[in-house]
Parts: sequence; structure tokens; C-alpha cells
Amino acid sequence: MRQSGWLPLLLGLGLGLAGGLFYSWIVNPVEYVETAPGSLREDFKADYLALIAAAYASRGDLVRARARLALFEELNPAGELAALAQRRQASGHPQTEVRALAELAAALQGAPTPGSTEVLSASATPAPPSPTPTPTRTRAPSATPGAPFRLAAREQVCDPLLAEPMIQVQVSDAASEPVAGAEVLVIWDEGQDRFFTGLKPELGLGYADFSMSEGVTYSLQLSAADELTTGLATFECSDEQGEMYLGSWLLQFEQPGP
Amino acid sequence: MSPRLTPLLLGLIAGLLLGLSYGWLVRPVEYVDTTPDSLREDFRTDYVLMVSEAYASEQDLDLASFRLAALGPLPPDGYATAAIDYALAGSFSRDDVEALNQLAVALRTIPRSGEIGGP
Repeated sequence: MRQSGWLPLLLGLGLGLAGGLFYSWIVNPVEYVETAPGSLREDFKADYLALIAAAYASRGDLVRARARLALFEELNPAGELAALAQRRQASGHPQTEVRALAELAAALQGAPTPGSTEVLSASATPAPPSPTPTPTRTRAPSATPGAPFRLAAREQVCDPLLAEPMIQVQVSDAASEPVAGAEVLVIWDEGQDRFFTGLKPELGLGYADFSMSEGVTYSLQLSAADELTTGLATFECSDEQGEMYLGSWLLQFEQPGP
Repeated sequence: MSPRLTPLLLGLIAGLLLGLSYGWLVRPVEYVDTTPDSLREDFRTDYVLMVSEAYASEQDLDLASFRLAALGPLPPDGYATAAIDYALAGSFSRDDVEALNQLAVALRTIPRSGEIGGP
């Protein structure tokens, strides 16, 4: 082809590309329809996960919750839900939502949750075309249904590795299994706060902690317990070099056995 | 046809083919950062079902309406009704249909904007 013959070809190529892009970007741009939950934007995905947890909290259907979570590929459900619970607690979302997220995170890891005396099983036939199977519920006998938790141990902890003094709480059920989603109320002269076990699964599903301020005395109550634990204040510890630092408290709650 | 037009047309067609191949084969559209209003009908129905399941225990109609508002600009009971239709056509369990129905009934008690309340 002569050199001058390339010009119309290149011109046509450019016009064709421009026409294709004009059509696809301006005239008939992509519309997102028929999408799946896995493609949702991060904030909507977080809301969707919270909704899955809320539905689970209502029905206690773990099979269905798992099926819904499976729609999110590349998701570590338990870790993601626990992290989301922490973020939402920090941003002031309703406690019921935080608790639902924590309970689902714990349930996915096989931990019992407060008052969990139900065993759920799924029927073999899913409900098409919904991605969620149809559940049936059976109630298993429990030796201590609703039995209040009691304070089994209260210890001062001198651990120089802790960055700040804190109240550490461990909650376990009658079978000595850690209990996630247990609500803890901490009160001091000028305020109060709530937190839940299981929001730091790497430290144990029945674990929760609260940072203490020096010179403040705290009282603590597990919502599933009757008694109030009072007089929790920082105290002085010394390390091997004689350096002083503030100590923490460890409270262990247990559900009485049968 | 002018001999100058032939390479122009050839280039035009080649350009279009290149653009379409790039858009459809090399780098097809990936759905990311979508919103709930674009969910497929079965996922949308399951979304409404989750709202109804949560509502059954929370009994918070404002929260249920807020959650349904993510699906689009329609009145919330419209989404509940559509979900019931889909659930009935799809042979959802009786419990699921009942939960959806209870939510729809509750949502119908909310006066729509511009609607004058009863006596």
C-alpha cells in the first residue's frame, strides 16, 4: 500500500474507535442490573452483612446465614463480621446490631452465645430459587437454660506487655466453652459504656476488654449475671527493672453447671 | 465507490471490531461498587426476606423502611409486595411468605407522602 493509502485507513480506524467509545460511554452506557451481592460497594456490603446478622439474630438459622454469606467470595465471614461489629460499635451503631454481628461471628466459629439453647438443623430441600435453604428448628434440652452467670475469678494482672491498663473479661458457659456476644456494662462516676465478648476473636471468643483511666473506679456487670463487680481501679505494678506501670483486672464469669 | 473510501471504511470496521473486542473479550465489564437497587430479582427478594426476618423480632418499622429504601425509590411496601409475588411463584416456605406478609401489612400502615391521614 502506498504511503498515502494508510491515511484513510488510520482515519477510519480512529473514527471507528471513537464511534465505539462514544456509543458505549455516552449513547448507551453500561447499566448495572441483575447484579449479585458480592459486587456491592463496601458500605452497602457492610449493611448487607449487618442485615444477614440481624436476620440470623431473629431466626437463629445458621445454615441460611452461611448460604447468604457464601455470596461474598473472598470473605472470611467470622473475621469480617467481628471486625465490622467493632467498627460499628465505635461509630455508635445500635447495640442490637453490634450484638447480632458478634453473635453470628461467634456462631460461625462454633462458639455458644448467651442463652443459646437451640440446636438448628436444615431440611434437605432448599427453597428454590432463593439461595437460602429452608430451615426447621428443634429445641435441644439444656441443663441450665437461662441460668445467670456468676463471677468465678477476679484477679489483678501485672503484665508489662499490655499497652494500657484494662478490665479483661472472660465468659464461659456451663460446659466451659467461651461465650461470644455477651453484653458487658461498665459504669464509672461520669459515664458508662457497653461492650461485647467475641469482638476480638484472636484473643478468644469469650474475651472482651475495656481500657481504664488512672484514678477512676469502675463497676462492671455482665448483662446475663445478677451481681455487680465494684471497686475496679488501676493499681501500681513494677517490672524486673523496678519500673512502675499500671496494672489491669481479669474477671472470669461462668455459667453454673447443672 | 471512491477508491479513497475503501480504506476509510475498512479502517472504520476494523476500529469498531477492535473496540468491541477490547470491551467484550479483553477487558469485559466487571460489576463492582454496585448498589442494592441493581440486585437481581432473587437476591432482591432475599434482601426483603432478611428485612422481614429482622423485623419479626425487632418490630422496628422505621428501621425496616430504611433498609428497604436501599432498594430504590418505590414505597417500601411495593418491594414487600413484589417479594411476596416472587416468593409465591418460587415456592418459598410458608414461614418465609408469612414473614414477608407481616412486613407488607405493617408497611401499609405507613402513610405515603402526600397522603392524608384517616380520621
